[in-house]
Amino acid sequence: MAGASKEGFSGIVNLTPHKIALCHLIQYFAPAAHSSLPIPFKSVSQHNRLGLFLFSLTRACNDFVEPSLDELITQFKAVGVGGFEYDWFVDWLIEDLTSRLSALSSPDDLYNFFEKLRGILSPAEVTNMEDEQCFLDPSSHLGVFIRCCILAFSILTFEGVCHLLSNMAAYCNSTDPMYGLPEEDAFNTDPVLQESHEYHELNRASDKYIHDFEAGSSAGESSSFHIQAGRPLYGVPDKLFLRSKWQIQGYLNEQADLLERHAGSFRFNTFEATLKHLQKMAPDMHHVKYLRYLNNLYNDDYLSALDNLHCYFDYSAGMEGIFTGSSAPPVSGIQVGRYESALLCLGIMHTRFGHSKQALEALTEAVRISQQNNDDSCLTYTLAAMCDLLSKIGICSTSGIIGSQYSLGLGTPLSTQQQLLVLLKRSLKRAESLKLTCLVAFNRLALAGFYLKHVNRPLLSFGPKASIKLRTNPTHVCKELRLSSYLLSEFGSDGLSLPNDGGTFSTAWLKNLEKLINSPTSFNGKRTNDYDTFHFTSQPNPIPGSVLQLAGASYLLRATSWELYGSAPLVRSNALIYATCFADSASSSELSLAYCKLIQHLAVFKGYKEAFIALKLAEEKFSSVSKSHIHLLKFQLLHERALHRGQLKLAQQVCDELGILASSITGVDLELKTEASIRLARTLLAANQFSQAAAVACSLFCECYKFNLHVENATILLLLAEIHKKSGNAVLGLSYALASLSFCRTFNLDLLEASTTLTIAELWLSLGRSHAKRASNLVHQTLPMILGHGGLELRARANIAFVKCHLCDPSFSVSDDAEMVLDPLRQAAEDLETLEFHEMAAEAFYLAAVVYDALGRAEEREAAAASFKNHIVALENPGSGSEDEQRNL
Amino acid sequence: MGSKESYRNELRSAIRQLGDRCLYSASKWAGELLVGIDQDQPRSSAIAGKATPSSSARPHHQQEHLHRDGSSFRRSRSRPGGDSEVFSATPSGGVSYVSTPSPVEDEIDDGADYYLLAKSYFDCKEYRRAAHVLRTQTSKKSIFLRCYALYLAGEKRKEEEMIELEGPLGRSEVCNGELTHLERELSALRRSGAIDAFCLYLYGIVLRDKGCESLACSVLVESVNSYPWNWSAWSELQGLCTTLDILRSLNLKNHWMKDFFLANAYQELKMYNEALAKYEYLLGIFRFSDYIQAQIATAKYSLRDFDEAEIIFEELLRIDPYRVDSMDIYSNLLYAKESFSSLSCLAHRVFLTDKYRPESCCIIANYYSLKGLHEKSVVYFRRALKLNRKYLSAWTLMGHEYVEMKNTPAAIDAYRRAVDINPRDYRAWYGLGQTYEMMNMPFYALYYFRRSAFLQPTDARLWIAMGQCYESVPLQMLEEAIKCYARAANCNDREGIALHQLAKLHSILGRSEQAAFYYKKDLERMEAEDRQGPNMIEALLFLARHCKAEKRIEEAEMYCTRLLDYTGPEKETAKSLLRGLKMAQSGFPSVEFEHFGP
Repeated sequence: MAGASKEGFSGIVNLTPHKIALCHLIQYFAPAAHSSLPIPFKSVSQHNRLGLFLFSLTRACNDFVEPSLDELITQFKAVGVGGFEYDWFVDWLIEDLTSRLSALSSPDDLYNFFEKLRGILSPAEVTNMEDEQCFLDPSSHLGVFIRCCILAFSILTFEGVCHLLSNMAAYCNSTDPMYGLPEEDAFNTDPVLQESHEYHELNRASDKYIHDFEAGSSAGESSSFHIQAGRPLYGVPDKLFLRSKWQIQGYLNEQADLLERHAGSFRFNTFEATLKHLQKMAPDMHHVKYLRYLNNLYNDDYLSALDNLHCYFDYSAGMEGIFTGSSAPPVSGIQVGRYESALLCLGIMHTRFGHSKQALEALTEAVRISQQNNDDSCLTYTLAAMCDLLSKIGICSTSGIIGSQYSLGLGTPLSTQQQLLVLLKRSLKRAESLKLTCLVAFNRLALAGFYLKHVNRPLLSFGPKASIKLRTNPTHVCKELRLSSYLLSEFGSDGLSLPNDGGTFSTAWLKNLEKLINSPTSFNGKRTNDYDTFHFTSQPNPIPGSVLQLAGASYLLRATSWELYGSAPLVRSNALIYATCFADSASSSELSLAYCKLIQHLAVFKGYKEAFIALKLAEEKFSSVSKSHIHLLKFQLLHERALHRGQLKLAQQVCDELGILASSITGVDLELKTEASIRLARTLLAANQFSQAAAVACSLFCECYKFNLHVENATILLLLAEIHKKSGNAVLGLSYALASLSFCRTFNLDLLEASTTLTIAELWLSLGRSHAKRASNLVHQTLPMILGHGGLELRARANIAFVKCHLCDPSFSVSDDAEMVLDPLRQAAEDLETLEFHEMAAEAFYLAAVVYDALGRAEEREAAAASFKNHIVALENPGSGSEDEQRNL
Repeated sequence: MGSKESYRNELRSAIRQLGDRCLYSASKWAGELLVGIDQDQPRSSAIAGKATPSSSARPHHQQEHLHRDGSSFRRSRSRPGGDSEVFSATPSGGVSYVSTPSPVEDEIDDGADYYLLAKSYFDCKEYRRAAHVLRTQTSKKSIFLRCYALYLAGEKRKEEEMIELEGPLGRSEVCNGELTHLERELSALRRSGAIDAFCLYLYGIVLRDKGCESLACSVLVESVNSYPWNWSAWSELQGLCTTLDILRSLNLKNHWMKDFFLANAYQELKMYNEALAKYEYLLGIFRFSDYIQAQIATAKYSLRDFDEAEIIFEELLRIDPYRVDSMDIYSNLLYAKESFSSLSCLAHRVFLTDKYRPESCCIIANYYSLKGLHEKSVVYFRRALKLNRKYLSAWTLMGHEYVEMKNTPAAIDAYRRAVDINPRDYRAWYGLGQTYEMMNMPFYALYYFRRSAFLQPTDARLWIAMGQCYESVPLQMLEEAIKCYARAANCNDREGIALHQLAKLHSILGRSEQAAFYYKKDLERMEAEDRQGPNMIEALLFLARHCKAEKRIEEAEMYCTRLLDYTGPEKETAKSLLRGLKMAQSGFPSVEFEHFGP
């Protein structure tokens, strides 16, 4: 226990009955040297458990009010015996404790108690201890706690002692079940009060408080209201005592973290009521207002969020150090105020609400003010926030939005992309020099994301023009991703730690204890995540959650980058790593993204049936998260399947839904918008409305070009080629396909490139027999990539193209080497049947029938023809989807 | 005449009844009002000798001097044509007041002796003892006094605890420990119908302290409807009327006390003209009421009618030299008028009267502030706030002091506290905005200006402040700035900043037609107010050039000629412009070339 941090008690503690009870317990743990009788602990482990329990109680941040004596006793019982067996010793100890506490009935008793308390601290000069004697090191955590209590008592005024005494009486009486009940009844049955609106409000608020506990498990680990179970907020307010300041701060930080990670799954009103209550009890705790701001922010209440944000910074003057990690020491008593962090917060708030213009204004002002006040770390964070904003929103040009680019230090007018790169690099450099490890990792991730999607052009627009290869460089991406992971090792080696991490272990320990108390039987059997569920013997995790979250994000980005570069197995493995190793520290939205990637992989490689089973599981897991990736994924899968099955009506319906999702009122998500348009064009294509499909695709291309979404452009160009292929205009299709090919090469989109090459081959084939050789070459070129990484559909397409090439080739004779074409055809037919892709399956069977016919294998020919007929019939009578799917929509 | 006598009788019995129940401040208020009633009986001859020579010049107003010497402001108050009797007989609008029967006094029994003892204890501020003596008494009076004593004992304890329990996380809201108990007893009384107006008043306060404001409102309405002379009940009710809608929804009986209530409520809701009208009317009956005069002066001050307000305040002080109430407003007025010596005299006077009144501290602080001794000023504002934590204007004024001391975080904190006490205090919002603007954060400041302009949309200064933020170098949002200035120009902008800025911004944006329009308007305004200055030259120069470009030669010449009155480089420009105009008129072709194109 020695060596525990002392930062916790920097301020004098407020003496409360709970603390006195703790002092008593510590006395049992380490009895004074001359105590009359030794405490008969049953075993060493029991003694140690008591120590750990006390340690946790003084550090835990799981609530802001102290537990009542009842709760303390319940917890103590569970800890004392390591379970719920009967133990006479624990019962005796509890009896003794309660009697000792109620014996404190006059101010003099208190004086004597604290006088005696000094005895348990070991004198400094004692070196040789007797074996049985357990001294409390005065500089250990509990020692510091005892000393703080003694100090707090010695500076207490007589009035304070009187208050403490009356509080003690209330505290001890709370174990009496009759306490307070009659009062409570009178309160509720008073008909006059029932009329009053305000009283209903109050009652409702307290009801909610209780309900939340009951339904607490649905919010997963985010529910932390266990302690207040069944205790109304109002009515008997004099029984609640605040914990020490840093414990409350820890509680608030933890809640803030939960809010940010599980946005949407927090119950707004409940938490608001809790915060209001806390604010009433501790009006100078301005941090509460910040929490209220966060709560409003994540529940999309713009006006209240704005008000609370301003209120918080007006009071705190930005001195509480949300961004710097530690509150700045006041410089020789003069407060300057760090309002730049207020602007940063305001910018982030506007970003979240999708007010990109205001967000930019706020952030620009934040940059200006942090430069003015020499607040480097805030400047760095602001730059990072600005990068985040610029990369998220579709601003085609910042001129006229950022008031003057000079204020950012960007001399010449630059495109948004170039600005973004400059800002990112500046932010990274600053973060590195300021040793803001987390921010470095964040910036590296952002840079990786940038390199992934943007060609790195030289910034100078004049001077000698070296011939530059306009290609993205995957090694850059790889490098940044690798570097960002150093974050973890730095935390391992440097022993860097974030403030307020002190309480996390204790908090988790006590929470587990709560679970044990609430469901003693199911505890051992059912653990949702072993990762942070430490039992009484386990070790705390040295790495803070936020760091883990960042480290996990790099795996998610890896998965995304492999998705673009076209390696399905790597996407899968990275997503799997994320979902298994970082699930506990991940935010719900990020975790759902990883799940999406896994499900998408399933859909492409195993067909829709399995994907939909997995989707159902995921939906249950993320049911509370609004506007999630899961929602989008469902539409994607439904649309894909409808197109394959030929259910055009259903596909159109899904498209409309997607369009609604894309026209969100809280800012425009360009990626979503593009997705919706592409799917619309594909639906039109499937319905053979070629000119409309081409028109949609063309306008989409223009838009994407405007917003520099080049990766998306490769896809759109390919789609255009497909449209022209299907409409019979192969020559025009070729030009689009070639354009798409060049985009793919520029951005190293290997799988898409293979797919494009295949399309080119198909286009050549459709131009006539004479081009079969060329087409055949192209198909052979793509086969390694496609067979290695492509999904079912792509593989089938390649196989069919391969067969077609051979059939067109005059030098190829079916009778010589029938398996050469039959094997790919069988493979393709199998894959396509899994996908329920009727149109192409029909084609495969048709080809097979032709081949069989040529071979004279009539029986197999008939079978293939029958399958062909089945698919054609299914395609022509698609039905409107099963009831299940309709309900899904 | 008879009705005045009836007012007097009503008030006399009210004072007795209120005093009996130890409601001293209400009784004091009624007492002040009683002597404020115009004496219409010519009993004055006995005291007429006191009249000053100035009054002897106006013998027909002799009766006014019964009470105090006539002076100019009194006379300005008296209505031309009609005398006060007209109003006292029937209130305006033809509504007649409802006569309210006075409560029947409890019969004297042996309980009355205990009551007397309890009252004595109460007067000695031994509240718990007083309550204890009355524990078995059942008369309505005793019940009220017992509950009231308990309430006050709880309040006293609350104040003490607030100091005792000041923890590291700030003062937590301690509540009066007697509230729950009192509420239960009083609600039971109310249910059984055995509650009188005084207990209702107490019940209202208890409910308000518990946070049940709407119920408190209806209970207080019941109280004032059954016993209208309790001014404390009215002012509690007024405190609950935070919006005009609440005020209008009250179902009040028509009693003359309601007029006082309404006037006060209007004043607090910043409807100064309505409040003034009410007070002027009431003055017809209570001609010598200091209270009304002070309220009128406050309203005039709020309407920025400083001179008249000052006259009234001076007179008030002359009549009642030991007055401290409302004197903080007077000090604000003297501050605004920069009357150093008067302010120092006022500060000296209140200091001698009672230095531990929040108003006194505020007055002294105002004096130091005027002298530029901001540190000292803050010390006294702090003292005022220690005496009354909810002293709104002191928070705001202290914010101003911190701004002067360049201690922005402290200033923001002070303003913010004012805003939290009353979110409708637009001055504090404005102060917050100004502070942030001073820190070069115009975008952040906009939020505060928006809040203050929302509360006081007719105040041009707020719109101008907002416009200046939009116009500032970092933001450069000129279109938005134009909108703000246009609002300001429509709100009777006294300093004329808005018109000039509008003209300037339009000319920057190249809309010379609009710019010319606003320059012209600005010019007219300056002419009307007889002002000179650089703005005038700028306007003339622009208009001259504009008219020339528009080929309105005569107009251009007129502006140029006016410019010639000024010295400086503009004169030369005007001369050359004139020359150009002359040539254009005489039709030299060379001129045409010179000014090719507009």
